[in-house]
Amino acid sequence: MQKLFLKICLIIVMSQGALCAKDYNASLFGIKSDGVTLNTPSIQKAIDFISEKGGGKLKFYVGRYLTGSIQLKSNVTIELNEGAVLVGTSSIYDYVGANGIKALIVADGQQNIGVSGKGVIEGQGPTVLEQIAKQIQKGYLQETISQASPALIALNNCTSINIEGFNLQNACGNVIALTACKQVRLAGLKIKSTTNKETKGLVFSKVDGIKLENLFIETVVSEIKSDGLSTNISLVNCQYASGKSLIFKN
Amino acid sequence: MIYKNKITLFFFLLLGFQLSAKDYIATEFGVKNDGLTLNTCSIQKAIDFIHEHGGGRLVFESGNYVTGSIYLKSNVTLQLDYGATILGSTNPFDYVKDKKIGWMSMIFAVNQENIGITGKGIINGRGFTTANNMVNYIHRGVYVDPLKYDRPNETNRPQNIYFRECTNIKIIDITLKDPASWNQTYDQCKNLYVDHITVDSKSYWNNDGIDVVDCDGVVIKNSYFDAADDVLCFKSHSAQHMCQNVVVDNCVGRSSANGLKFGTVSRGGFKNFKVTNLTIYDTFRSAITFAAVDGGEIENIVIDGVRSINTGNVIYLRIGDRWSSRKKPYMKNITISNVYAEVPFGKPDAGYNFEGPIEDLPRNISPASIVGLVENKIQNVTLKNIQIVYPGSGNPLYAKRGLTPAELDGIPEMREAYPEFSQFKELPAWGFYVRHAEGITFENVTFTALKKDYRPSVVLDDVKNATFSGLVVNEPESVGKQQVFPYKTSNLIIK
Repeated sequence: MQKLFLKICLIIVMSQGALCAKDYNASLFGIKSDGVTLNTPSIQKAIDFISEKGGGKLKFYVGRYLTGSIQLKSNVTIELNEGAVLVGTSSIYDYVGANGIKALIVADGQQNIGVSGKGVIEGQGPTVLEQIAKQIQKGYLQETISQASPALIALNNCTSINIEGFNLQNACGNVIALTACKQVRLAGLKIKSTTNKETKGLVFSKVDGIKLENLFIETVVSEIKSDGLSTNISLVNCQYASGKSLIFKN
Repeated sequence: MIYKNKITLFFFLLLGFQLSAKDYIATEFGVKNDGLTLNTCSIQKAIDFIHEHGGGRLVFESGNYVTGSIYLKSNVTLQLDYGATILGSTNPFDYVKDKKIGWMSMIFAVNQENIGITGKGIINGRGFTTANNMVNYIHRGVYVDPLKYDRPNETNRPQNIYFRECTNIKIIDITLKDPASWNQTYDQCKNLYVDHITVDSKSYWNNDGIDVVDCDGVVIKNSYFDAADDVLCFKSHSAQHMCQNVVVDNCVGRSSANGLKFGTVSRGGFKNFKVTNLTIYDTFRSAITFAAVDGGEIENIVIDGVRSINTGNVIYLRIGDRWSSRKKPYMKNITISNVYAEVPFGKPDAGYNFEGPIEDLPRNISPASIVGLVENKIQNVTLKNIQIVYPGSGNPLYAKRGLTPAELDGIPEMREAYPEFSQFKELPAWGFYVRHAEGITFENVTFTALKKDYRPSVVLDDVKNATFSGLVVNEPESVGKQQVFPYKTSNLIIK
């Protein structure tokens, strides 16, 4: 009887260990909320550290967190709490891409990843775009404007993704771009990105299993674009700013 | 006419060379000079662009440029104009620990050629803050380091410069400040030219002046160094390589360790050095120290013209057997000439940041020393036109090493110890101590003690073929005192 009890205890403890992803505050890794310090390497270090330790949440609280591209790794969720703003740097050489799409948050070939909370991702689109144009004009940047324009989130070949709750604004490129991902859930996002006419709210291709719930999207021309190669798409209670409810042709 | 054509040709060649070395202004690439923006990626982009477009100079005009680790590429020179400062980020996570090199640095170059850092600007590592931020990360558990002696390992703190296996390097006019680890390291490089640089390197533990490791073809001249650790430090990390063909001229240094140092890591060796017009002052340990303790070979070294003022020790030559791994080290053919030195009674680096540790006490003022091993003697050392002023006042009640066979044989060999002039504690001479050597020549050498010392000025122990000509010893209250004491010594000639 005692043995059985011990076994049960052991199972509970082990399962808790696996389930209980740990929380880490951004400040632990020296990430600064002053809006001036470029935090790219520190945030990346934090993500790598959490992923190596078995996963968990990287929590941001009130403040402006300036960063270039960060690469999300398996079992890590970025939590932007109320008042936390993740700000994309205006310095264009601080962005990298996933599958050729540059973005502030990128992930390639990762599993169980997420971005959540009630905070904001601010792309500084007009400023970034201006820098891109200048660098192309000078001949230092040998890309087209659309190649160089970073999205806010670009995920490629990832599985089990949850993006939920926060605000996304002023993207330079598209807001969210998904390619070859599986089991995607986008819920409760407020997307407002009208500074660049070309910006699309959500672009996805070859995605298998995508749930769109309670999205509000305001862009100039195109809210959602899919290339018709995606499967298992569900839409619940999504809206355009124009008032029409969200439908799209797959 | 032919002559004129040649001139024209030369002119065009010169023009061509100047055209290919194009200038690019850093801010044009979006690099910010506000002292706040972390410019790592933009500076790297600029370097890559210049490298891919035929080379040239990346010019930093007046302003403050913050960066983390960047990699210099072939045919690119960083030009720091007067008023330009490259500020190292104070966040350790902004630096790369290079996989091949195994160290952190602000400016790396690996396997590149024709590279340089020039101009009257400053590179400021802000190392004290960076190192302390690293300590903080280690305590929080987000960076792993044993924190030995309550400091992060040297490899986990950024240097200002680390170049590895590069050819044709020019470091001219710049000021290097406050690294978190050593300062500037050139490792297995060929043709290194350092001219007119200023180094202020005493912000944290192990801050060196310059570290030259296993390099071939080195010129260091007209430069000033103020360092917590060694000033001009030549090392040999690889048993297959060595430091060779080196010229050092007209340099001034201050250190809480040593002035001109070979080692401590000394696996391959040091050959063909010419050091002229060297000034070392306020320095805690030795003005000149050569260590062959890891199997290295030291040969053909000429040092001519040294002023060593307020420096704890003048010359320390040592063969040891620390990490030799069966290699047989040797040290031979060394000439040191035209030296004027003053050794103080007090601590020469008192008041500087990161003072050298008071150690090996009790001992009276240590003499200059040449110490080999029983089976492995230091050979052919010539000391010419040397004048050393000591404080004297060696007090046998404080520490005593007499001249009896038992006392002289009782001096420990310390084969495997870290080599420092003070390692034997009290030595039996106040001017010069020589042990396990052959072919030692003192020519026109003057030792002065300002106060009476209980010891003789020179002790020779196990020395073959020692010649003194024109030896002058000045010591108060010492009429009739035997100033040169030979022990187990053969063929001693005093002219």
